[in-house]
Amino acid sequence: MIAPPGMVLGLSAVLFGIGVFGFLARRNIILMFVSAEIMLNAVNVSLVGFSQQLGEPRGQVLALFVIAVAAAEAGVGLGLVIALNRNKPGAAVEDLTELKW
Amino acid sequence: MTLLSVQAIFYYMAAASVASALLAVTRKNPVHSMLWVLALFLHVAGIFLLLGAEFLAAVQVIVYAGAILIFYLFVLMLLDLPDEEARPRFGKHWPLAAAVGLSFAALVWLAQVRTPYPVGSGPVGSGPVGTGLAPAARRLAAEGPPRGSLRDIGEALFGPFALPFEMASLVLLAAIVGAVVLARRRGAGS
Repeated sequence: MIAPPGMVLGLSAVLFGIGVFGFLARRNIILMFVSAEIMLNAVNVSLVGFSQQLGEPRGQVLALFVIAVAAAEAGVGLGLVIALNRNKPGAAVEDLTELKW
Repeated sequence: MTLLSVQAIFYYMAAASVASALLAVTRKNPVHSMLWVLALFLHVAGIFLLLGAEFLAAVQVIVYAGAILIFYLFVLMLLDLPDEEARPRFGKHWPLAAAVGLSFAALVWLAQVRTPYPVGSGPVGSGPVGTGLAPAARRLAAEGPPRGSLRDIGEALFGPFALPFEMASLVLLAAIVGAVVLARRRGAGS
């Protein structure tokens, strides 16, 4: 037992809360995506904590999949941002009110 | 290293992660936010190291900090947002967002504090087990090699997780194709 497991999960909860706050509060769409990355990272922390606590590698495998999905999300999300920016410059979410090109 | 110093390092990493995450979501300059997220990712990699997940720590540094974050920085600099610092960083509803984030964190914190869960070495059936994962996990831990090693992860990844692993590659392929289609200039080709 290296790190206290309750503290690992608590850290994960706090990081996820910060990510939720950032995703809901920021106006910049790129920073909203980054807040989603913070949330995914918080989930990874708790998965690795479970993996260490239960003494088996499946949690780390799941964390690897989370990282893969995060990479995919970054690719598609930033492609969307570039496509939107071509039509309406800027990255503020409240400007993106019309669902047409 | 003694247990105490390892725990001190863990608490430093945890505090630094929380601080850099808070700074990342509150800085006005988006590039500064990205750099604080970089600090967060590196500290989380340190936590992975402390938790015995060396491979995941390396992946965190290489993929998250090295690839994904740089990609975000590329797009941020590509967009060229000169008046970003002059505009308000939060929407008008930010107290609500803060309340939601705080209450979520408090809820998860309370839930995990009040719920005992089994440890790898304990006897089967000691303490309430909330998920179906734990008994099988304990059996694996009893017969397996040292936990968290790269060999363990590789065997899990190419054994029981082979199909999800291939599906992850499919997800990444779909993301590549989707990003190309989305970011392509309209009217060019197609």
